[in-house]
Amino acid sequence: MKEETKGKVKLWDAVPGYEFDEKIDVPEMHSYFHDGVHSVPRLTPMYGCFYGRLNPVGSQYASETLSIPTCKGWSQKVKDGSTYLAMHIIRDKEEIDKRAVKFKEALVPWIEDFDGLWEGYKNELLGLYDHLKSLDLDKATNIDLIHHLWDMVSTYRRMWEIHFLGMYTSMSAVALLEEQVARFGLTSESPEFQNMFRGFDNKAFQVDKQMSEFAKAAVKSGLSDLFKNNKAEDVLPKLEESDAGRKWKKDFYEFLQVEGWRMVRMMDFNEPYWLEEPSAAISVIQTYVSKGADFDLDEVRAKLIKEREKSINELLQKVPEGEREWFRALVNLGGKAGSYSEEHDLYCELYCHAVIRRGFLGIGRRLVQAGTLDRPDDTLFLNPDEIEQVMLAPEFHKLQYIANRRRADWERLRFKETPPVYTDRAGGMDEAVGKDLLPSGDVIIIKLVVGEMPKVKEELKADIYGVCGAPGVAEGKARVIFTYDQLDEVLPGEILVCPGTNPAWTPIFGVVKGVVADRGGTLSHTAIVGREYQVPTIVNCFVGTEKIKTGMRIRVDATQGAIYILDKS
Amino acid sequence: MHSKKLIFWFDELGKEHNDIVGKKCANLGEMARMGLAVPPGFAIPIDMYREFIKETGAEDEMSSYIKEFGEAKGAAIQVFEEMSENLRGMIEGKEMLPPLRECIASYYTELCNKTGTENVAVSVRSAGTESRPGMFETYLNVRGIEGVLEKVKKVWASAFTPRAIAFRVNKGLPILGDELGVAVPKMVNARASGIAFTVNPVDGDSSKITIEANWGLGEGVVCGAESVDLFEVNKNTLEIASKRAGNKRRGVFYKETGADWADIPAKIQRMPCISDKEIIEIARVAKSAEEFLESPQDMEWAIDQDVDFPQNIFWVQTRPAKVASRKVDSPTNHIADLMAKKFRGF
Repeated sequence: MKEETKGKVKLWDAVPGYEFDEKIDVPEMHSYFHDGVHSVPRLTPMYGCFYGRLNPVGSQYASETLSIPTCKGWSQKVKDGSTYLAMHIIRDKEEIDKRAVKFKEALVPWIEDFDGLWEGYKNELLGLYDHLKSLDLDKATNIDLIHHLWDMVSTYRRMWEIHFLGMYTSMSAVALLEEQVARFGLTSESPEFQNMFRGFDNKAFQVDKQMSEFAKAAVKSGLSDLFKNNKAEDVLPKLEESDAGRKWKKDFYEFLQVEGWRMVRMMDFNEPYWLEEPSAAISVIQTYVSKGADFDLDEVRAKLIKEREKSINELLQKVPEGEREWFRALVNLGGKAGSYSEEHDLYCELYCHAVIRRGFLGIGRRLVQAGTLDRPDDTLFLNPDEIEQVMLAPEFHKLQYIANRRRADWERLRFKETPPVYTDRAGGMDEAVGKDLLPSGDVIIIKLVVGEMPKVKEELKADIYGVCGAPGVAEGKARVIFTYDQLDEVLPGEILVCPGTNPAWTPIFGVVKGVVADRGGTLSHTAIVGREYQVPTIVNCFVGTEKIKTGMRIRVDATQGAIYILDKS
Repeated sequence: MHSKKLIFWFDELGKEHNDIVGKKCANLGEMARMGLAVPPGFAIPIDMYREFIKETGAEDEMSSYIKEFGEAKGAAIQVFEEMSENLRGMIEGKEMLPPLRECIASYYTELCNKTGTENVAVSVRSAGTESRPGMFETYLNVRGIEGVLEKVKKVWASAFTPRAIAFRVNKGLPILGDELGVAVPKMVNARASGIAFTVNPVDGDSSKITIEANWGLGEGVVCGAESVDLFEVNKNTLEIASKRAGNKRRGVFYKETGADWADIPAKIQRMPCISDKEIIEIARVAKSAEEFLESPQDMEWAIDQDVDFPQNIFWVQTRPAKVASRKVDSPTNHIADLMAKKFRGF
């Protein structure tokens, strides 16, 4: 069957309706920007379908619900696993003014009780996840499974809707604060400004801290050699060999029952979650044990809180007395943005994706039993429509020829570069950003996904320019890596050069001296974690991984956004 | 002859002359002093009105009429209309006193000489010591001394429009309380006119200058009836922040004498009526006026089609801007307000 169909049957679109077509899509929207933060490496077709289709719906839902004055979210297209987005910019002044009136009303509850609203939405999401988790996939009927597929789609959609409500409101506060502090001589890149958002406790940092405590406990129990000298997948069986090991493992498994619904890779379904494959979590512990067990998050946190309070007080001193009350409220709200930006990952992407991965593996097992697919995770190389077509009578169908071919394409293209923008604007990226991005006023896209554009400061004579994510200066050997599974190559004191980071990379910030990321804005994961770990960090330098090679000595002047290649050997 | 100087050129005046010539005239003088291009013209002081009603007997006539009339407070509008008709008749029915006539005529002739125009077109505008917007009359496009004299009397008499009488009666002010000076500026042959606010009158945003504009004379903008052009200029950088061309179906234009509403030709209805450089120049001048006067201003301007840029922009009025009163805000509302403004402004 596989051989017969190959070449004879048209292989339809991997992401039907969302395939990027330059000739049609660019004239309609003028500019499509690469989402380098979320689609490097490239996405599997199933994830492309979910993300391409429902992430924009979430952005549009939140823009409409909040009545964002200048933007109705974005459209997204997928090109061979890379995603591109185009902003729905409102250009009619009267419409903008009308929306602004409603926007103001919609913001009020968020300003008054951001934490309370987020708590409610968080519980809604956890309820949806519990519902998905309650289905025993192996005992389920095929009907249960097709319903499960639809439930996954709908859970994923709701996740993005909630995700963007929180994002737009919290990040709008930061953007406003950024504008307001300008009269006191601060910018988004000023250390005094960035200090105001550091040292907030949240679930993401709590889990990081628990992980580092497990690392410390392992060292204390004399297990550090076991962690250092074995591959992650060999650590767990070896732990069975001693009382201390068994005790540690028992505690760790208990922890995973609660916190293990967490993908390692944030933006796809293709890699295991901690609970599914505890060795994925073990490798994080290994990083802490071998390189960062002495990194004291609590100590750093305490220092950051002090600095935060100092920066806030200094700013409030400059604020005229009559304005101090609302300014303080705005600073507090802005503080939520950094915190929410980290914490929501846990409850939105990382948890949701883990639960959906579970579902696709369950559906995949059923399709393998029926002979429709060869491997359970082949489901990730189909799209939801294709699964729908076969789910209730899978034994009549063979989908290997689709899954295998798409998997081969994906593997071949995974790390291939892709243009940062497709545009019909004559001035290229600059004009595209000026006309088709900035007028959207979309804080998420501007400050996180596409990021602020670096300023070339000729007088610094730097080799590469980026945007300050976390202030400071660092000098050392560069370590260029592209995915988190290469993190074990990074040595203490090196400077990490990467496309961008996500929560899977967090432990490495306790190890490196500096971080250089090709993409990301001042509220991206890389910048936020750089600030929390006090690591000089540059984001959005675009060509870091291209121009810098592992072993080169580089100096990172993050405060200035300047990178110097010291020896170009 | 009179011992004190009766008539003033605008550039001889300042705010200290408010009680002598009325607010509008003093204001034009103040504007000329700070270097704004004000249309040339002269101010007829309030004393001239007083002399007129005294010497012609109108004052006695009006006083006894009011005495006989008795209590008017709370009266119906028809009553005020009747009073208005009678009182205005008592002023308009009198001949202009020869010395006053001579005095006004000599200034008008000199204005004709100054502007090099025979029978130069002027507007004849009321100028009370206190601002009563829209209560008194203004006459546009008046030509020749006879017309000017007639309109001066009409302006004086407009202190007795039904609205003005009702206002004073209901405020407990004397019925004869409003005495008017008269401003007689040369008409700007306006291609377009409008208003510049140095603070947004609706939301109090002081970061931008808001300009409203229409084809023709300023009366086509001020009353706010028609859809007009709306421009916003960033006050710091003097860059245009937004432009919205209104659908300007009607405006106020000159007729042979006077001026009236007329249809605007279809092909220019949706065209911005002023150029970008005119927008920026208007904003620049408005900003400097605000700085000079140390308070937000609401200013009227007109662009003379017979004069080249930038001398073509004339200023006919400036007054402290009224901003819709804002409640003392909770921090939440204030932040929401700022966010709404910020995200409207990209």
